Amino acid sequence: MGILRLSHVELRVPDLELSTAYYTEVVGLVETAHEDDRVYLKGWDEQQHHSLILRYAPTYGVETVAFKVQHPEDLDELAARIEARGIPTKRLEAGDLGPGSGTTIRFRAPSGHTTDLVHGMAQIGNALPLHNPPPEPPGLVGIHPPRIDHVFLMCEDVDEITAFYTDVLDFRLTEQIVADDGHQLATFLERTHTPHDVAFITGPQGAFHHLAYWVDDWNDLRRAADTCAFHGVRIDAGPTRHGATRGWGLYFFDPAGNRNEVYTGGYWADPDREPVTWTEAEMGRAVFYYEGVVDQSFLTEHS
Amino acid sequence: MGILRLSHVDITVPDLELAKAYYTGVMGMDLTEETADRAFLKCWDEEDHHSLAVRYDPRVGMDRFTFKVEREDDLDELEDRVERYGFAVQRVSKGEEVGQGESIRFETPSGHEMELVHDVVKVGGRTAKVNPEIPFGLRGIAPPRMDHLLINAEEVGDACRFYMDVLGFRLTEQLLGGDGHPIGMWMERSHSPHDLAVVSGPNGALHHFAYWLDDWDHVRSAADILAYNAIQVDVGPTRHGVTRGNTIYFFDPMGTRNEVFTGGYRPDPDFPTITWTEDNIGRAVFYYEGEVNERFVSVHT
Repeated sequence: MGILRLSHVELRVPDLELSTAYYTEVVGLVETAHEDDRVYLKGWDEQQHHSLILRYAPTYGVETVAFKVQHPEDLDELAARIEARGIPTKRLEAGDLGPGSGTTIRFRAPSGHTTDLVHGMAQIGNALPLHNPPPEPPGLVGIHPPRIDHVFLMCEDVDEITAFYTDVLDFRLTEQIVADDGHQLATFLERTHTPHDVAFITGPQGAFHHLAYWVDDWNDLRRAADTCAFHGVRIDAGPTRHGATRGWGLYFFDPAGNRNEVYTGGYWADPDREPVTWTEAEMGRAVFYYEGVVDQSFLTEHS
Repeated sequence: MGILRLSHVDITVPDLELAKAYYTGVMGMDLTEETADRAFLKCWDEEDHHSLAVRYDPRVGMDRFTFKVEREDDLDELEDRVERYGFAVQRVSKGEEVGQGESIRFETPSGHEMELVHDVVKVGGRTAKVNPEIPFGLRGIAPPRMDHLLINAEEVGDACRFYMDVLGFRLTEQLLGGDGHPIGMWMERSHSPHDLAVVSGPNGALHHFAYWLDDWDHVRSAADILAYNAIQVDVGPTRHGVTRGNTIYFFDPMGTRNEVFTGGYRPDPDFPTITWTEDNIGRAVFYYEGEVNERFVSVHT
């Protein structure tokens, strides 16, 4: 019932060909459709049509963030709740938003991000047979994460967007970084019983911090770092551990300047798990547990 | 809504002291409560009172297994559904069972006693709620949490129809015999490859319960700890074809099979079921070895 998980993210890129080459050959996503101004991609183990859309634009940043709902009637219920909050919504039918797209409720969240709730995206299957499948298909290239994990966004008022996500969209708060004056610097929110499906950190309205793909373990992070280094991809931070979420991550930038992460670890969060709080003084370890300090680029570079 | 995840497994052991020593010293669980003939244990990252209860009994076996439901009113709804299916449901009142409040218990078509609970005593995990340290110096294998259990049934298809149609489990994978008869079925509620699985065998039996480990490195160190403590390893470290997970099977000193498990995938509720055929049974169960050993098929408790 309600929102199931992060469905997909649409990113702006000024060079569609270069970005497509990067996301297919370095990250190792699978291209599923190509239009004049948009390319659709997914992790190899994903059953659905896409988890990333690259859209040609003269700049970078996030165009849309989309969540998958479990039942078709969840769309109506959530749309009514969003409208009751004074935010207009728009309904788009399957196919309206391009190849594979499902029925969609679109609205602008208080954080300034265009946000979609989706049901019924085309199922195209992973790269494995449904009879006697091997654990992984042959011929994967690059980092080849199996699936999307979470998205990290920025906005001016983290308290406000957190209240919207928890009250209206039924997300649950797992962790927060709280400033000395009591306001939320960053919050981590989940629907999948993982540490986070979406997170917010203080910054410009509508800004994008990073998109994370899941990898299965720490060894994969090491190989991902090797892959980035080999291809001359700029690594931002890691491989390292997060204090918040307890996961391990590697941050790097796509050719347009959008930050990517590969992530693993974390924990199972029951719906009634009491949230973890990090104080401002411990923000360094909350973000980078081993280093204990957050580097400037991590805080100031966004798209 | 409905069943959330596996809550706890209640097994019987002929030596309570030995069981406590093994599950705390080798497995690395924490003892949370003891009564005259029972001990209650949890993993370090679990916040609920226990995920394993051991009870003294001359025979090794399983008393019941318990799943946690998301909301309190899920108990009423599922009680109604089980009764409409034709099974008697027993209400257990708050205060009757250690570490939890009201629950419902019933016998399933596979001959197991199953329990559903919502209200569980919270004892908290090992880490703080403000600026938590990553836990350090944990004892034994120290899995963060329980993951799933696998039980036996004479009629796997009938058994699973109950778990799916009445309790809302979703089928992720199945192993079919040459005649199309199911030999094994893997079902989930937690968007993991399995929370509950059923394979052919005697009704009412437990094949194993499994702890989650975070990765293959942890599986390797678990194997080292098992070897050091002279624990009988059944199979592994290896890979499953079914669930795609990595694993070791071993026996506690009383004879109950344990597993440590990692990997797998994250199925949506609309995940298409994967089918394994009998001619691929070896790789379905043990992907590297390609064959199932006799002990794995014949030993259960």
